[in-house]
Amino acid sequence: MLDLIMQGITEIMHINTLLFILFGVAWGTIGGMIPGINATIAMALLLPFTWGMGPTNAIVMLCGVYAGGEYGGSIPAILIGTPGTNAAACTVIDGHELHKQGKTGLALYTSLNSSVFGGFFGAIALLFFAMPLAEVALAFGPAEYFALATLGLTMICSLGEKYVFKGILAGFIGIFLSTVGFDPIKGVPRFTFGVMSLNSGFDMVALMMGFYAISEMFKQAQELLGGEVFELKGDPDTHFPKWKEIKGLFKWNVFGSIFGTIIGVMPGAGATTAAFISYSEAKRISKDSSSFGQGNIIGVAVPESANNAATGGAMVPLLALGIPGSNSTAIMLGALMIHNVSPGPMLFINTPEIPYGIFVSLFFANVFLFFVGYMFIKFAIKITSISKPVLIATVIALVYTGAFAYSGELFSIGVTLAFGVVGVLLRKMEIPHTAVVLGFVLGFLMEANLRRGLIISEGSFWGVATASPISAVLLAFAVFSVGFAFVRGLRMSKAELS
Amino acid sequence: MSKKILMVVLSLVMVMTLVVGCGSNTPAPTTAAPTTQAGGGETTPEATTSLAYPEDNIEVVYHSKAGSGGDIFLRTMGKALEPALGVSWVVNNMPGASGATAFEYAASAEPDGYTLLGVSSTIITAPLISGMTTTYKDFEPVCMMFTDPMVVFVQEESPFQTLADLIEFGKANPGTLKIAGGTPGELGFVVGAELMRVAGFEMALVPFEGGGDAAVSVLGGHVDGGIGEYAEIASSVEAGKLRIIASLNAMPEAPEIPTFASEGYPEIQIEKFRGVLAPKGTPQEVIDKLAEMMKTAFDDPDFQQYIKANNMIPNYKVGAEFTAIMDAQHEQVKSTLE
Repeated sequence: MLDLIMQGITEIMHINTLLFILFGVAWGTIGGMIPGINATIAMALLLPFTWGMGPTNAIVMLCGVYAGGEYGGSIPAILIGTPGTNAAACTVIDGHELHKQGKTGLALYTSLNSSVFGGFFGAIALLFFAMPLAEVALAFGPAEYFALATLGLTMICSLGEKYVFKGILAGFIGIFLSTVGFDPIKGVPRFTFGVMSLNSGFDMVALMMGFYAISEMFKQAQELLGGEVFELKGDPDTHFPKWKEIKGLFKWNVFGSIFGTIIGVMPGAGATTAAFISYSEAKRISKDSSSFGQGNIIGVAVPESANNAATGGAMVPLLALGIPGSNSTAIMLGALMIHNVSPGPMLFINTPEIPYGIFVSLFFANVFLFFVGYMFIKFAIKITSISKPVLIATVIALVYTGAFAYSGELFSIGVTLAFGVVGVLLRKMEIPHTAVVLGFVLGFLMEANLRRGLIISEGSFWGVATASPISAVLLAFAVFSVGFAFVRGLRMSKAELS
Repeated sequence: MSKKILMVVLSLVMVMTLVVGCGSNTPAPTTAAPTTQAGGGETTPEATTSLAYPEDNIEVVYHSKAGSGGDIFLRTMGKALEPALGVSWVVNNMPGASGATAFEYAASAEPDGYTLLGVSSTIITAPLISGMTTTYKDFEPVCMMFTDPMVVFVQEESPFQTLADLIEFGKANPGTLKIAGGTPGELGFVVGAELMRVAGFEMALVPFEGGGDAAVSVLGGHVDGGIGEYAEIASSVEAGKLRIIASLNAMPEAPEIPTFASEGYPEIQIEKFRGVLAPKGTPQEVIDKLAEMMKTAFDDPDFQQYIKANNMIPNYKVGAEFTAIMDAQHEQVKSTLE
């Protein structure tokens, strides 16, 4: 093992290779910062340039982009309340609140520290436990995915803040949105009204950017009209957090990283799911759960460590099984294939320098990420001094560009705009749009896998529920948490009435 | 200092936005010079007689994202082709609307040989599944290059050693056999449906999106076996985790793998092809010249290595022969959807 790691280090320790990683990190961070461009798109843009490089350089640069992209999304999330990437959507909730309170430096640097921590955690897990983690991926069949998605959906109950039932309603809206497009089992289009562009369902990028970025920009524009412009009182505090503050978040970083790594491993889940699930689990177990959403720094640390830890996790199925678990790793698969390297179990035997090179490069990428992030934060803070109308116009233009880039269709821009308007309405009605997005992300996973599970169990729901101890336990948790939420919801409604 | 960093970062942001906005969908400068026949009924003589093709970059539209299998095929072929072409081979990914965006864009492009459509069997299956108006019939065949071998595979410890074992079990226990494959209309599903029809037995086909997820569920023992592309499971087969019990297509690199034909089902013929089409009305001379140049791409050593590494079967077919394969597949898929 040690000699293989050494081999990986010698593979990476070239000035060119290190520069490629550094460039990848910077490129990824910038891509992440631009709303609508996520790690996947930033990687796809670089892909054509990787074909002149060796396979190792190509893949390590993409690893850098991946790490940078998952981090970069948090910067606009905190500063302008618009996530740069889907996986940073959770960071908006508390991060932007902290910025409004003037604790800008604390939020930005905590997000950076947690991202780097999560990245290291994921890389270590990948290095030492790639094979056992691959077993986790294999243990998850349709029944287990169904159970996981169901448990994830029960979090909706806790996202409704004051109104549990509004959260549940929002979740159902999201689940409905996820049914638009091809039926995952029968292969026929549903709810598309003959619109071809809807066949593959709503684009995740378009939907999330509509809900989070466009609706936030509309809201801010409206505030400008109404004259109630949010102004920071004095200069925001932009100091690097004190050691005591960093140390206090250590256990939350570990918490987020564990969720991120494990959920990242599962094909079909990924960084966004990891961020959402870890955030609401942190909220659930925290002693101080009512302060989440009001600017609790834990609400930044947990999802940010989770989405970066997911990068290490997501490499597990790619390298150990040869199967990409996410869009980003699918691009990495492409980058390897063009160099006639096919990932999978044989990679460790035929060309061990590539997987071990990737492991080592992830460590370097996270070291670079710290410095790149540190520099970018210094200048990103200036964003807040840009005039609001200019900023709003720029963000909207960038979001539309990103939505268009993802699919190459003007239709996506329409979808983004439509969800932006819906997002404004939801805000007005105090229906939590995060719950809608969660329903959308997990609804499809739940439906497709329930139906696959039912084919395997020959139509028996009980057979799906008891397919394995994993599915049984996860579903039992789900039932328990729904029951708990209903009791809480009823008690709250009574309290409101009386 | 910080001003400089700011400038660098801002210009990178600009570059990325421009690349995103323009790169993904800029039609390569569609030639104005050689084709001016749009105006009247008269056919410009130089378009038909001169073989000064190509004089401008060729845009190849593909319906899947950058980095997907078909995208890599087109780009690797482009690398092998460009020296002969003397112009750039620009792959333009249009993943929207499950293929319709790319198909419609290419079908309505000027039929001058400067806009082509890279295709896989999706050009047959997608229009049938979602009732698109643009189908393979709106294009001229340039050439078919490869077959992606499709295989039936099981976990290494599976009791099924041969295709006959699997079918026998299916016959003895109707409905209990679970095989992972694609959704209805996809080729994995078509293989399963054809096998059941020809061999006369029942099994449950569990649809997965993409072969990778199907392979994971076979590896994890959640289903009894799977049907998919060899390329997606090759590494697991080599590592001794999955075992192929039969292939739909004879593989020159792995002659020991039994085929459906050698196992007694020669009538089940399904070829997942990769090739290039041109918009209807593209001059035959242009198509011939392109097809000829693509044939020489096979001689490129890098391309040869790509073929081997990705377990593809070279299968060069032009004109009516290529059309016949598409026609046959169209009927096959259509019949399993009914």
